[in-house]
Amino acid sequence: MGDTELELSPAQLEELQQSPSASSNSSTSSLSLPSSPSSGTRPLTSSSPSTSEGLPTSSPPLDVISEGVGELSLVIDTEVAKKACQEVLQKVKFLKADGEVSSASSEPVLVNGTAHPESTDGGKPPKISQEEAEPVKNVRRRQKNNSSKQSWLLRLFESKLFDISMAISYLYNSKEPGVQAYIGNRLFSFRNEEVDFYLPQLLNMYIHMDEDVGDAIKPYVVYRCRQSINFSLQCAWLLGAYSSDMHISTQRHSRGTKLRKLILSDELKPSSQRIRREVPQPPPSCPPPLHHGQGMSEHSLSPSKRTHQRSKSDATVSISLSSNLKRTASNPKVETSQDEDLSSSSDSLTLEAGTPVRLTPQREFIKSLMGIGKRLATLPTKEQKTQRLISELSLLNHKLPARVWLPTAAFDHHVVRVPHTQAVVLNSKDKAPYLIYVEVLECENFETSSVPVRIPETRIRSTRSVENLPDCGITPDQRASSFSTVPNYDNDDEAWSVDDIGELQVELPEIHTNSYDNISQFSVDSITSQESKEPIFIAAGDIRRRLSEQLAHTPTTFKRDPEDPSAVALKEPWQEKVRRIREGSPYGHLPNWRLLSVIVKCGDDLRQELLAYQVLKQLQIIWEQERVPLWIKPYKILVISSDSGMIEPVVNAVSIHQVKKQSQLLLLDYFRQEHGDYNTEEFLTAQRNFVQSCAGYCLICYLLQVKDRHNGNILLDSEGHIIHIDFGFILSSSPRNLGFETSAFKLTSEFVDVMGGLDGDMFNYYKMLMLQGLIAARKHMEKVIQIVEIMQQGSQLPCFHGSSTIRNLKERFHMNLTEEQLQVLVEQMVDGSMRSITTKLYDGFQYLTNGIM
Amino acid sequence: MAQTEKKAGLLRRTSSSKKPLKEKVVLMYDEIFAKEDPTKNNPRFWDELFLMKVNLEYLEGKLESLDGDEVMKIKDNINSLFHHCVQALGEEHQIKVVNALQTLCALFRGVHQKNKSATGFDIINMLMGFDKAELRMKELMESLDSLLCGDGSESLKSLCLKLLLYMVIIQNTILEYVMINSIFEAILQILSDVSSRAQHGYDAVVLLALLVNYRKYESVNPYIVKLSIVDDEPTLDGMGMVIHHALTEYNRQYKDKEEENQGGFFSTLTSMVGSMFIADADEKLSVQTNEAILLALYEAVHLNRNFITVLAQSHPEIDMATTPATPVPASPTTPLSTTPPSLDMMNNPELPLDPNLQTSNLLITFLKYSSIVMQDTKDEHRLNSARLCLIILTCIAEDQYADAFLHDDNMNFRVNLHRMPMRHRKKAADKNIPSRPLVCAVLDLMVEFIITHMMKEFPMDLYVRCIQIIHKLICYQKKCRVRMHYTWRELWSALINLLKFLLSNETILLAKHNIFQLALQVVNLFNMFITYGDTFLPTPSSYDELYYEIIRMHQVFDNLYCMVLRVSTNAGQWKEPASKVTHALVNVRAIINHFNPKIESYAAVNHISQLSEDQVLEVVRSNYDTLTLKLQDGLDQFERYSEQPREAGFFKELVRSISLNVRKNVSLSTMSQDVLLKEFSSIS
Repeated sequence: MGDTELELSPAQLEELQQSPSASSNSSTSSLSLPSSPSSGTRPLTSSSPSTSEGLPTSSPPLDVISEGVGELSLVIDTEVAKKACQEVLQKVKFLKADGEVSSASSEPVLVNGTAHPESTDGGKPPKISQEEAEPVKNVRRRQKNNSSKQSWLLRLFESKLFDISMAISYLYNSKEPGVQAYIGNRLFSFRNEEVDFYLPQLLNMYIHMDEDVGDAIKPYVVYRCRQSINFSLQCAWLLGAYSSDMHISTQRHSRGTKLRKLILSDELKPSSQRIRREVPQPPPSCPPPLHHGQGMSEHSLSPSKRTHQRSKSDATVSISLSSNLKRTASNPKVETSQDEDLSSSSDSLTLEAGTPVRLTPQREFIKSLMGIGKRLATLPTKEQKTQRLISELSLLNHKLPARVWLPTAAFDHHVVRVPHTQAVVLNSKDKAPYLIYVEVLECENFETSSVPVRIPETRIRSTRSVENLPDCGITPDQRASSFSTVPNYDNDDEAWSVDDIGELQVELPEIHTNSYDNISQFSVDSITSQESKEPIFIAAGDIRRRLSEQLAHTPTTFKRDPEDPSAVALKEPWQEKVRRIREGSPYGHLPNWRLLSVIVKCGDDLRQELLAYQVLKQLQIIWEQERVPLWIKPYKILVISSDSGMIEPVVNAVSIHQVKKQSQLLLLDYFRQEHGDYNTEEFLTAQRNFVQSCAGYCLICYLLQVKDRHNGNILLDSEGHIIHIDFGFILSSSPRNLGFETSAFKLTSEFVDVMGGLDGDMFNYYKMLMLQGLIAARKHMEKVIQIVEIMQQGSQLPCFHGSSTIRNLKERFHMNLTEEQLQVLVEQMVDGSMRSITTKLYDGFQYLTNGIM
Repeated sequence: MAQTEKKAGLLRRTSSSKKPLKEKVVLMYDEIFAKEDPTKNNPRFWDELFLMKVNLEYLEGKLESLDGDEVMKIKDNINSLFHHCVQALGEEHQIKVVNALQTLCALFRGVHQKNKSATGFDIINMLMGFDKAELRMKELMESLDSLLCGDGSESLKSLCLKLLLYMVIIQNTILEYVMINSIFEAILQILSDVSSRAQHGYDAVVLLALLVNYRKYESVNPYIVKLSIVDDEPTLDGMGMVIHHALTEYNRQYKDKEEENQGGFFSTLTSMVGSMFIADADEKLSVQTNEAILLALYEAVHLNRNFITVLAQSHPEIDMATTPATPVPASPTTPLSTTPPSLDMMNNPELPLDPNLQTSNLLITFLKYSSIVMQDTKDEHRLNSARLCLIILTCIAEDQYADAFLHDDNMNFRVNLHRMPMRHRKKAADKNIPSRPLVCAVLDLMVEFIITHMMKEFPMDLYVRCIQIIHKLICYQKKCRVRMHYTWRELWSALINLLKFLLSNETILLAKHNIFQLALQVVNLFNMFITYGDTFLPTPSSYDELYYEIIRMHQVFDNLYCMVLRVSTNAGQWKEPASKVTHALVNVRAIINHFNPKIESYAAVNHISQLSEDQVLEVVRSNYDTLTLKLQDGLDQFERYSEQPREAGFFKELVRSISLNVRKNVSLSTMSQDVLLKEFSSIS
């Protein structure tokens, strides 16, 4: 099959990719091809066995869904889609009858049979390749034919090259319900992670585009919601956030709001549970009525078999889930006493109708975090905020561990503890974003694995308390006779008090075995035989020297500043912090212990951040693909509503503002302080990192028109990379529209100095990287544009202000320029940015208004 | 609620109604106190009795008026009354339960008043009869337990706790039965539940503290054992909150009073060091009543290691003044019977949104409380409270987890300690206190204590504890290499001043105290700084400052050396302790002897008569290398706190005084019958 695809010339493919809407007009007939007319004549069960074998695991259980949701009067439009496809089918039949006399009926089957598995990670053995030779030829022969064009589209859809990005693009651009329905089905065949990346796009289309698109998307969303709590919540949050720009009256009745309600009502539990109770044996095994007569869509049929297997395991999952609910329910709600009742009652309830308990813990957890943010915002000073934050988090700690997790993490886990004293309030004028560290235990699956048992804070100490007392004499007999005097165990000093201080030495970091502490250790040892020992003499100068040496040896830390509490916390190397927190944690000894961090933002709209993340991620993938060594760090964004969310912090990075304020050095000198002098390997590595990241972000800033680039929004990590954060002003929006920052991107002379000056090799390397990056990005422009374009639908975000956002974005890719011209352009931009007084002006402005250096 | 008023009201009402005709219940009481079996004429006598409104005064008065012989004669009837009371506790009808509870209270009170001198067994015999005692008490305790744990009315629970408090303060062998039939779980349940904690938390905590202290040195006390292993956080937290509230309330009252005084007459007399509170009787009394809470805090910290986390559990300081409606108790002598008013603030699970609220935690509140209590140690109760505060701090300083959060650089707080107004210093502007780790507040408190208690009635014992606490904290810092940015200089000069005071009052003090022990501790603290300063001092220059301070005050050390040398060369009881101080002084003397000539020669060379601090520091810095110090052993070792045997006497006395106080203040008539009736008519 791989061969056949190669026969599609790249040019043709590109044509197809770039003009999906153009081709979609006539794509009706081609679409119907997979569901071949011949299958109608054949018994369903005999549809090639290979099809079902090679099917993807994520295949669509359309029938199951419609069955499950049918009662909820949420008709999923498989039927509509089918009808549409059927009509199309008829047309094709006619066409075929007209055009080709022979093989017309068998072709599509083959195409279908072979192509489908291809779309699924190539799980299909290649033996069918001979069979397809013929259809391919046919296809080629018919190139000029009208119908052949559609089959090209089909071929594209069926081909390996058809990826999720294209699917989204066609879904968005095609006006044809058949195509949309087809792609809706095809979504099932992509890997979850692939689709997840485009979830904002999918949901935004669902909310803001016409019925047909929504109908095409819904089955997939519902299916995934059933499978995953995390997906359910993400969907609900995104739906809420992207619906928020609608007028309030329409919003209430919009599809997005309805779907959101459905998800939050937690009706979308793994459907298996119901099936399992009602029908002991798999219901979908008998072909559902939908399919009879016309094997309309094998896409929907064959997957159903898989679904069934899945649902069985889901059933067991839900059983174990319900047994775990006890812990689950007693989650961050601050009331404790009622929780027990709730959980015990939910135990019995889960077997009956649905209880919203599946999503509850996580929602409550998020709600608590947001509530803290809201309350912090009311406090006037950073210091009060920090104290309040710590105290609120310590309360939150009481409800942990629970079946809650950080959605920004890349692995499944349960949150067990929030080391509350480590949390810091971040710099922000009126909002109160804060950074928390979260201890988690990695687990196989956060929905099914059992929630870890709580370990009290004090358990880090070795416990030797009354539990271990020989016998406290509380047996009934002794109680009765307790008039008699029993020797008091309070004499047993050992039993009561643990020599905590004495044990400290064991827990101390390694410095303690360092040579210069030997004297103090020695002194401890010497106590036992002090009489016989010769007196030990030490020089006062040594003590003084050790003191200054030790202070000098500690890694450069920032000074605590009550007005900027986050600086110290962020400067501490991540590994160091992990080690320190692990030592202090009662859960630290567990092998699956991990530390995560997250920034909680309350009162901020993160939808633009999410958009920026998607673009950055896409560009990162593109550059990686094209082997351009640009370095950028897209950080994950979780949109919870239109004014709240979470951000994955960049570890080991502090803002350039903090660097300059704390160190009082020029950037280059700071580099030398941190990484060593010029020509040391460390410095050169850091410098290269700086250049690669700087080039990457310059391009990003240019393409996305990222504004508000003051030094507080640019981070410097411990390896020398710069990282831009805060994409609050991108595309068509800029801060206060003051017209500052007219340059393409921010490039100060300090940056250039770090790169080795204007004439240095590294600076040329920087410009070359920019050029390469721009060329690579241009090559895949569509993938980038698409992300932005779809999100523009129905959006009131400032970044889409005006009508020319997308056009301007496209222009910045300069499709019409030759590479030489591009090179000139890059030179111009670099020159312009460097000379730009506005950058300097803007920094000055920020310094005056916000105290950012 | 002001119960004194209530009580008066109640009395008036009953007395006025008594004259024309006797209440039925009184007639029935009379029947009981007659020698015959009351059921003889009326088989339903007991049923009817508990339907009657109890007349406590009459019943108690009757019991008190009996003499020994009469008691023995009507013993059967009283036994029977007790028996039926216990039985009535199991009744469905809440009125009966309430009446039975009140009758029981009256019985315990009356019998106890009557029989103060008599041994416990008499009381037991009189109430229950020896043969039945065990069974009766078991039944009683079980009933109380189920009443406390059940979801019955809150007034009922309150009555149960009162009854238990009576039984506890009798300090009688009846308590043995309370030991056997533990109601510990019921107390915990009250503390863990938000609403019941708000209403009964105070009584429950006091009850628990007293129960834990019952014969704690002589027998196995199950409450000690159980308290030590509680690890349920909501419960411990609840206990912490009750304590926190009581202490906060005290702090607030103090502050109000202080402000009041400052505005008025006393403002002109602020220079009258600290004497302003002595005249204030109420003030002292309120300290007294808080001893029970302080004892509870001590037991929790001392016995239960999980409680340490509660200390750091921060929550916003709840400003009592803002809570509406609930009036502050008229006199602070009665907090036992009325739970602190705004305790119901704790009901609110969401933290209040007032931006003016400072975040606080139990430890901070406790430190503030301590700073108030320690200001004046002249009277017995305050002295005891101050001592207990220091003991609690000792326990805290020894605990590794507590030390960890005391020194946590991320947990910064402003702690407004109360400072005694003194002639030579202005009252520090509270607002300027920086936000620092909590250990700084502890050290501040210790420094404050040191400099304010150098007086004729020298509280030696408190000083020793105080220095021990500092020592323990420094040991932790040394071991864990924590470098606090604390102004150590204040501590050093306070310590040197203490030595100076000891020297100048040698003869007076030596008559009562072993001042050498204290001097040794102080000198050894300096030795810690001198030999291990590299491990915990914040900057190299702070080490220089230490030397500067020692050199500056060398006269004190010289004099101390002369004194201890003199005493140790003479034979006598102080010979040995004095010689220990001589040895401990070796490094300090080495420093003085090393640097003083250097400084003099520097002054001579540069022709300066008076060296500036910087110049001295310069000399110090450049002459370290020629100075050799002797490493002393065991500087970072300390004796761990143990209650037994050293503190046993103190706690026995303390419990006795608390019991007395509770006995004085527990009043039955808090709950008017009307309230009860109203409540129960709606229930039943």
